[in-house]
Amino acid sequence: MFVRIGSVANLGIETIGVDVEINVANKGLPIFEIVGLAGKSVDESKERVRTAILNSGIEFPRKRIITNLAPADVVKEGSCYDLPIAVGILASIMKFKLPEKSLFFGELSLDGTLRHTKGALLSALYAKEKGIENIYVPKSSANEASIVSGINVFGVENLKQLTGFFLGKTQIQKSDYAESNDTFDKPDFDMSEILGQEQAKRAMEIAASGGHNIILIGSPGSGKTMLAKALPGILPSLEEKESLEVTKIYSASGNIPPEGSIIKTCPFRSPHHTISQIGLIGGGSNAGPGEISLAHRGVLFLDEFPEFPRSVMEAMRQPIEDGLLTISRSRAKAVYPCRFMLVASSNPCPCGYLCHPKKSCICSDREIKKYTKRISGPILDRIDLRVDVPIVESDKFLENTKDIKRENSEEIRKRVVDARNIQRERFRNEAIFTNAEMKNSQIKKYCQLGKEAKNLLNQAVESYNLSARSYFKTIKTARTVADLDKSEDIKLNHIAEALQYRPKTHEI
Amino acid sequence: MEKVIKAEDKRYPRVLKELKKEAPKKLYYKGDWDEATDSGIFENCLAVVGSRRMTAYGRQITQKLISQIAGCGITIVSGFMYGIDAEAHQATVNVGGRTIAIMPCGINLIHPEYQDKLYKEILENKGLIISEYEGNFWPTLWSYPRRNRIVAGLSMATLVVEAGEKSGSLITANFARKYNRKIFVVPGPLTSNVSRGICQLIKEGAEVITGAEDILDYFGIRNKSKNNEDTNKVKQPKSKIEDFIIKELQREPLEIDELARASEKSAAEIGVVLSLMQLKGEIFLEKRKYYLNN
Repeated sequence: MFVRIGSVANLGIETIGVDVEINVANKGLPIFEIVGLAGKSVDESKERVRTAILNSGIEFPRKRIITNLAPADVVKEGSCYDLPIAVGILASIMKFKLPEKSLFFGELSLDGTLRHTKGALLSALYAKEKGIENIYVPKSSANEASIVSGINVFGVENLKQLTGFFLGKTQIQKSDYAESNDTFDKPDFDMSEILGQEQAKRAMEIAASGGHNIILIGSPGSGKTMLAKALPGILPSLEEKESLEVTKIYSASGNIPPEGSIIKTCPFRSPHHTISQIGLIGGGSNAGPGEISLAHRGVLFLDEFPEFPRSVMEAMRQPIEDGLLTISRSRAKAVYPCRFMLVASSNPCPCGYLCHPKKSCICSDREIKKYTKRISGPILDRIDLRVDVPIVESDKFLENTKDIKRENSEEIRKRVVDARNIQRERFRNEAIFTNAEMKNSQIKKYCQLGKEAKNLLNQAVESYNLSARSYFKTIKTARTVADLDKSEDIKLNHIAEALQYRPKTHEI
Repeated sequence: MEKVIKAEDKRYPRVLKELKKEAPKKLYYKGDWDEATDSGIFENCLAVVGSRRMTAYGRQITQKLISQIAGCGITIVSGFMYGIDAEAHQATVNVGGRTIAIMPCGINLIHPEYQDKLYKEILENKGLIISEYEGNFWPTLWSYPRRNRIVAGLSMATLVVEAGEKSGSLITANFARKYNRKIFVVPGPLTSNVSRGICQLIKEGAEVITGAEDILDYFGIRNKSKNNEDTNKVKQPKSKIEDFIIKELQREPLEIDELARASEKSAAEIGVVLSLMQLKGEIFLEKRKYYLNN
């Protein structure tokens, strides 16, 4: 008997339909074979399906079973074909009719239960697009799939339950979407927990508002990591469209936990500096997403930035510029978005104690120059804000009774959200969202400087020897400062503040 | 033709002969020796030495003192190393003064290489580059202290600006003492480790200076420009916060966060004021701290 069942293949974050065709023939030698360019993980599904069916109390037919995955010229990987294959075999031998317009997707466990499978959201989106009404997924992935409204998502617990359902003996409830705990935990730190660092905090606020890349420079223990980790707390939560983009990437890479729901907070990724180029950018034989794509619409925090291999740093140039990345491999090709905010941190010198109030630096001039040169110039060019993170002498702080009231992250976030709204309004006819994304032509269009402000900037170019790129970076930063100030024009004091975050000579 | 002056030569500096056995046998040089000696480059020489790890204070005070001293026609002798040495050479050429750089390497090399711009400026301002080593001799651990004896030997007096314990500047000062030359030191804060060598020299009897006049007096030169220094400045009216910042910085250099806390203003507001003051040239930033320009 021949059965055809709908399923999908996820290539990156794109989805294509796959027909799982199963023929159970009475003639010929008993065999169980999968054809149609099945990868290793798909080939292994034979044993899982056989054992799962047996363990569900059904005898596995001693017949000639041929499974074809069509289209046969696309490599299929992953464990999601266990369910459609098993359902096909069961339908053949138990003679039940499968519902029209349905899609099956999920990995089997040897005892017949279904396991959480990556990519459930993508298949649900595909189902909706193609007008497929019913989608059967593992119960733990059902919530993820039911983010998509307008289709029937059935969360299946095990094979026995599913056969019972098709034979009309048991019921499976349609899954309703329930918001669960977010994939990302609350930020580790609140801004109010950080002592001192008034300027660094302000720089973080500006960076968050305009989506600017930022580099933090300070000695070990000065609080660079703490500042970076507090950053998600002041970022606005994701818009609906952004949420879906991010969740798709996480679903494709299997980063959504069982029972997980849509991602609403900004992603925060902090890979270690030993990361490989493929780990950061993405790739591998299956062209999977890298950290920069997982940080899409969020923060990519690169601690100890000069320690990253040069090749890894250089590879980030194009993605930072374009916000989009095409990975091509011989057997796979994928396009991932990667519009992230880069937060880098660095020591001021190899020993780390340059400008330290107590310890003295033991580096020579040359060593410091060599160290600062490790960061690729073109990457530094794409970092708008540069800020020092000095050591806070906590003993000084305890003496100081008239401590400035420290704002918490929520208060700062309100200002950030306001500034973002102003930008969204400004760029409603453009393809960009934030000031940081402005190209030079857009800077000319949206950042008119008053005479006073222009004079000041020219004076700064003269005395600080600013490059043309630094000139535009300063204007972009000043635009964000003005937005935080709710000012239409960029005034003198906005430029003056933006100049605080310029690259200083002979330093990073 | 290689430019070299032998010890027997008439043009060999008289002061170096006083070193007797230690006097270098040959001096290789760059620049115009005859013109320089005729105009008395070796008459009034002051050695200026100090730490490679110069602080912002060291830079500031070197610039201030040397521009006044060199402006009065005194030749500044130093070792062309980065830090105080290079700063002293630079301050001299900035006021168009003459300076002699004694190299620890062969005369054909520039060491450290990246100071090639300063090297050219020294020669353009009729200064001299001198080395007792020929050709492409590479600087070695022992050639640095040997070079120091020429620095001290050429000069009537040695001024030490910043020096750590066991630093090369102390070696130069020891040579100066051995050759019966005067040793001046610039006082620095006791907390700084580039003041340790200075303290040691003071204990050993070096003379502390409080201004360029102390050195000029020693050379018997009057500083004419001194009186009209302050009158040139036009006082601009300052805002309250600017006054506050100036007052704070007069006491000690501070970071922006410290100024924000002291003034109880936000980092944004203080940042604006500091940027403007910096562009007006009232203050400058070095190693994260703001200093008053004087």
